[in-house]
Amino acid sequence: MLAEQLLNGVIVGGLYALVALGYTLVFGVLDKLNFAHPDIFMFGGYVAVASLVLGAPVWTTVIVVAAVTGVLGLLVELASFRRFTAPDAHITAALSSVAFGLIIVDLVQKQWGSEPLEVPLEGRSAAIVALGVRLAYVKLAALAATLVLLAVLYVVVRRTRFGRRMRAVADSPVSAALLGVNVRAVTQLVFFLASAVAGIAGMLRVTITGFATSEVGFTFGLKALAIMAIGGMGDLRGAVLGGVLVGVVEAVAFQIGLGQIADVAVWVLMIAVLLVRPAGLFGGRHQRETRA
Amino acid sequence: MISDYLMLTGLNILLAWSVYVILLSGSLSFANGGFMGIGCYAAGVVTVKLGWPLLLALPVAGLAAGLLGAVVGLPALRTRGVYLILVTIGITACVKVTIESIPYLGGVQGFGGMGGSALWQVWGLVALVGAALFALSRTPLQRILDAIREDETVARCLGANVVYLKVAMFGIGAALAAVAGGLYGHYYVFVTPDHFNILVSIYLVLYVILGGVNNPWGPALGATAMSLLPEASRVLQDWRPTVFGVLILGLLLVRPQGLLPFRLRTARPPRPRP
Repeated sequence: MLAEQLLNGVIVGGLYALVALGYTLVFGVLDKLNFAHPDIFMFGGYVAVASLVLGAPVWTTVIVVAAVTGVLGLLVELASFRRFTAPDAHITAALSSVAFGLIIVDLVQKQWGSEPLEVPLEGRSAAIVALGVRLAYVKLAALAATLVLLAVLYVVVRRTRFGRRMRAVADSPVSAALLGVNVRAVTQLVFFLASAVAGIAGMLRVTITGFATSEVGFTFGLKALAIMAIGGMGDLRGAVLGGVLVGVVEAVAFQIGLGQIADVAVWVLMIAVLLVRPAGLFGGRHQRETRA
Repeated sequence: MISDYLMLTGLNILLAWSVYVILLSGSLSFANGGFMGIGCYAAGVVTVKLGWPLLLALPVAGLAAGLLGAVVGLPALRTRGVYLILVTIGITACVKVTIESIPYLGGVQGFGGMGGSALWQVWGLVALVGAALFALSRTPLQRILDAIREDETVARCLGANVVYLKVAMFGIGAALAAVAGGLYGHYYVFVTPDHFNILVSIYLVLYVILGGVNNPWGPALGATAMSLLPEASRVLQDWRPTVFGVLILGLLLVRPQGLLPFRLRTARPPRPRP
């Protein structure tokens, strides 16, 4: 049982990591929090269900989800971040993105209702049993997809020209602009990438749980925000390690009947980390200073 | 019906001012939804379980949350900017889950049996707090707070006790939010921990930012507008969150400084003695 729960924890932790990475990418480039991000994650699940209901195969659905949520991310950038560029405008931008998230949630509830929506996926409950551990194929697929996405993100950020431009902007937007980087284009691409990844994470979560709900952004998505801070804001490895850590701790706590405590533990851990070590548990060299 | 709107508006003005008070010293608090919850439950326990009258329960609630706010604020206010947003959001989340896990307070099911807050109590408090805020804006303390908000280092160099003032304002804001929370609970009779979630904290900050952060009129106007506009028509009510969201997006784009961005005149500094 414990091994199964640990595995579940890793899988859920991977989803946390994918959402937290979106926060961290945007924070790295803009130094601002995107509060519409959890709702984009939630929306990805609904788009997946809608696409599957229409009879689209899984691969097409993945592409549709990524495209739709990515474009939604561009809209968020346009409405909530483009105008608020000043370094001290982080609160205006954060609140504006909260408003954007409110609209997404309300429109989703208008379209699909507030009751959980079932996923029409054949053979969702099929599972393999190995070494006494029962594992559904969808979970295995979700784990594989998470690993692939993490690898793709790593390559994009570390090994491509776009990634280099992105890191330059994260380091210093002014210097990057002076050296010929199109900061706005980089920002837009980052929003597209972060939102598309969050959308796919939302789809993966929906296929694992079997239901799409509109509260998931508020619960799961906000916890990913805490994880981003625990791992280290703007730090990619931190988001992944933090996500897996929290996923496993939650699964174990749930197993021994302390699920409620685990909910607080994430936030307490986040507060402690921000007070003692603002760069995050796994934070890198830079960002040792508490940024204004 | 009219009295419902008046009640809601009055409570929201108080809560917006509780955020404004903390913002006076330069910290934006997303913890006030949590403090409101603490005050609501504290006042509820005192009246329902101990049988005290409401007007005695409110100071108890305010004192409890104020002290807690000061204790929590002492370390929390070391962070700033985005980090402070995250820490205060975390405080609200912790308060909610903690209340949920205490069976004595009814857990997730909620807590009921309060009653008796009247319109005059809420608006009396609005008048009182408003008068205090305007009186404050005439005192030298307002200048010191303004200095802290603009630049802490400069304020510290000029002799202001920055840590003390920030923690004190955080405690006062928490106390005000708790008293408003107590009135809230005794008006709605029944509350659940979900009434004090992170979204509530965010709304309170929104009232202040939309109205303007430089004078007490701004938060009051923001709270009033945001309480009454969605109730204006049937269509608006059906689409309430969307209307809310579009309104906020639009207002922030058109007036990022808030609706009433002006500053009140402060009193002249005393002449130096010869």
